[in-house]
Amino acid sequence: MTGEPASTKPAPEQETREGGASASPAAATGEPATATRPSHENEQERSPEGDRLPMSGLRVIDVGTFLAGPYAASILGEFGAEVLKVEHPVAGDPMRRFGTASKRHDATLAWLSEGRNRKSVTLDLRQREGVDLFLKLVAKSDVLIENFRPGTMEEWGLGWEELQQANRGLVMLRVSGYGQTGPYRRRSGFAHIAHGFAGLSYLAGFPGETPVVPGTAPLGDYLSSLYGAIGILLALRHREVSGEGQIIDIGIYEAVFRQMDEIAAAYGLFGKVREREGAGSFVAVPHGHFRTVDDKWVAIACTTDKMFERFAAVMGKPELAAADRYGNQRQRLAARDEVNRLVIEWVGSLTREQVMQLCIDGEVPVGRLNSIADIFEDEHFQARGNLARLCEEGLGEVVIPGVVPTLSETPGRISNLGPPLGNATYEILRELLGIPAQEIRRLRQRKII
Amino acid sequence: MPTTDEAESRLPLAGIRVIDAATVIAAPYSASILGEFGAEVLKVENPKGGDPMRHFGTPTRRKDTLAWLSEARNKKSVTLDLHLPEGVELFKALIEKSDVLCENFRPGTLEKWGLGWDVLRQINPRLIMLRVTGYGQTGPYRDRPGFARVAHAVGGIAFLSGMPRGTPVTPGSTTLGDYLTGLYGCLGILMALRHRDRTGQGQYIDAALYESVFRCTDELAPAYGMFGRVRERHGPTHNDFACPHGHFPTKDDGKWVAISCVTDKLFERLAIAMGRPELATSHVYGDQKTRLENRHDVNEIVRDWCGSLHRDDLLDRCFAAGAPAGPLNSIADIFGDRQFHSRRNLVAIDEEDIGETVIVPSVLPRLSLTPGRIRHLGPRLGQHTDEVLTELLGLDAAGIEELRSKRVI
Repeated sequence: MTGEPASTKPAPEQETREGGASASPAAATGEPATATRPSHENEQERSPEGDRLPMSGLRVIDVGTFLAGPYAASILGEFGAEVLKVEHPVAGDPMRRFGTASKRHDATLAWLSEGRNRKSVTLDLRQREGVDLFLKLVAKSDVLIENFRPGTMEEWGLGWEELQQANRGLVMLRVSGYGQTGPYRRRSGFAHIAHGFAGLSYLAGFPGETPVVPGTAPLGDYLSSLYGAIGILLALRHREVSGEGQIIDIGIYEAVFRQMDEIAAAYGLFGKVREREGAGSFVAVPHGHFRTVDDKWVAIACTTDKMFERFAAVMGKPELAAADRYGNQRQRLAARDEVNRLVIEWVGSLTREQVMQLCIDGEVPVGRLNSIADIFEDEHFQARGNLARLCEEGLGEVVIPGVVPTLSETPGRISNLGPPLGNATYEILRELLGIPAQEIRRLRQRKII
Repeated sequence: MPTTDEAESRLPLAGIRVIDAATVIAAPYSASILGEFGAEVLKVENPKGGDPMRHFGTPTRRKDTLAWLSEARNKKSVTLDLHLPEGVELFKALIEKSDVLCENFRPGTLEKWGLGWDVLRQINPRLIMLRVTGYGQTGPYRDRPGFARVAHAVGGIAFLSGMPRGTPVTPGSTTLGDYLTGLYGCLGILMALRHRDRTGQGQYIDAALYESVFRCTDELAPAYGMFGRVRERHGPTHNDFACPHGHFPTKDDGKWVAISCVTDKLFERLAIAMGRPELATSHVYGDQKTRLENRHDVNEIVRDWCGSLHRDDLLDRCFAAGAPAGPLNSIADIFGDRQFHSRRNLVAIDEEDIGETVIVPSVLPRLSLTPGRIRHLGPRLGQHTDEVLTELLGLDAAGIEELRSKRVI
């Protein structure tokens, strides 16, 4: 059902696969047959004692920029992987300059948060020696994440064949605006463009009016990285059995498009083109955002008749849920404006806290439209540890979103904020690659690192 | 070429059994992805009506909905009434033979049925359990009902969608938070499987819809934490990071483009596409900071230019110069788009049982060596009950008949 990317060549069939494939993966990975797993041998050696996180022992190279792809490395890092951020020696990741400046000259707030749990290693891939060093790093790593425009790595002599020669078990995540194949693959793509291309932006806003940003500009970056991280974990599982690495190829637009429930099926069968729906939804009424008397907003979502019945009672008008009125979703959809008018009036007569309390008591799905100020005051965010507070000398306290998801036995953690440029270059070159100090100095002088 | 069986056995999750006892999209979507990559997914549903997702959205000829057909892909439907003691016993028997359980009941519901984590882990110490709710298993709001619409609000993205000071709008889709949480859930399960492979130990994942949403808000939290800055709605543009960065109408009525100049280099390319390279010089708008300070002027220049051209012409000029632009596609545009077809993002599936061709989004992520697949669309309610009870739990026809007469299945 999914076309194999044309640019990738699956590894030749290996004899070793038979042994692994005969058992179920769960059983096979429980008792490793080390002969079939060259990469995993490295991994076992490196696993620090006592570190029980699920990704511990794994080394990830993140050579991407901004968020689409790199966020996958952040997650792996939160759950124990060692993440090496490979950056240009002079400029570094442009994410370091994106957004609000901090007191550290090489870090914006976005970098501090999303560069979490990394070590920064500088390397100029436009120089031959930089490429050679990179291949040495690849040989000692498990996962490579990149998001250059398709063809760029190949131009540098870092195509899949060269990388696989360096490391047969390498798992490579490639994220780009449009993916590695197809007519648009060379176009530059960012989340904002991908939201438009995938059809999400078209749907955000009021009918016939200006389409707006769907909440957060980098949404597609996060989405594509989540799919990327899932792909990496699946590929690592396959590697455990077969020793083979592979490529995960993601277009940001695809990750966005995959979220849109029945939109494709409904157009395919009935030619129905979904349009912007303002604050509402085509599936249910009332289902939207409503203004309270203190000029704040709440979301109310009555997806079923039962919920509307409860809501009608909460509004003090149980008769609205009668069978001959609006008791049925189809009746409410047909009388959308009238039902919404009743809700607008009721919500508009009360404060936000009053609406919240009445709806919660009546078990109606309701939520405040939180600003970030509301979020910082919210007791539930506090109780769940969603706001992680990290202190760094010279920066003071930095509040960043905590780790998601929450695992009961092996919870993730944030070990450091986005690192200074090149903070681990020496350590990695000296200790991991065994390069003499003198040679490291020479590389630095020539701006290769 | 490997035979189909060989290809199946090579999928990364071949041999893994998942029970999806959840409803609607969030936790079930985690199970859908696992199923696309080889896991056997048993959708356990209430015999009376099944998953409400079957009735959510546009109805089909078969009387379930398009969303169900698409998102219940690859699953086997097994009916089981967990309100009845016999249903609970059968469920425990299934748990014993499975690797993963996905659920999204309100906290305390499974416990009420005698199916809490402590009980389940006794039955199967290797079990991995995904728990999805609006607010998670802990914290003061844990008992509140939660839906994606509410999660978008609580997680902070609904507040940010819309025109400045205008009514906050739906951020493109009402189900975004469900899919996001499904992705985090799937990720949690895969990491937990990895931990289990090493230690033999299962665990549970506690996912909350609002958390998945909040995690996608870049520097929103640190900017408030450090400078007390409350981000507001910015309409069609990003916030304070980049200019030009927004949606612009073209000469074609109702057709918009997105433009995103996050770096100076990208603005330079846009200036070239506009035929006005001088705009990108250092004493005009070459610098992001200058552009942000003069955002109204810059946006007006871009808006005038976009409004003077047909969408396709405008985009051709941008692509020729490597400027970051793209169309705001409707679903009709998408069905005509070469990239979507070249990447096979739309799959047309025709199953005799459904009686009409259904087009659904194909598998993501795309793996080169072990690509996922869609074997079939959403099943009929209880379609696989007999098969699973017979083959997996060893019940005979008489036993199954009795369960059915008691409405346990």
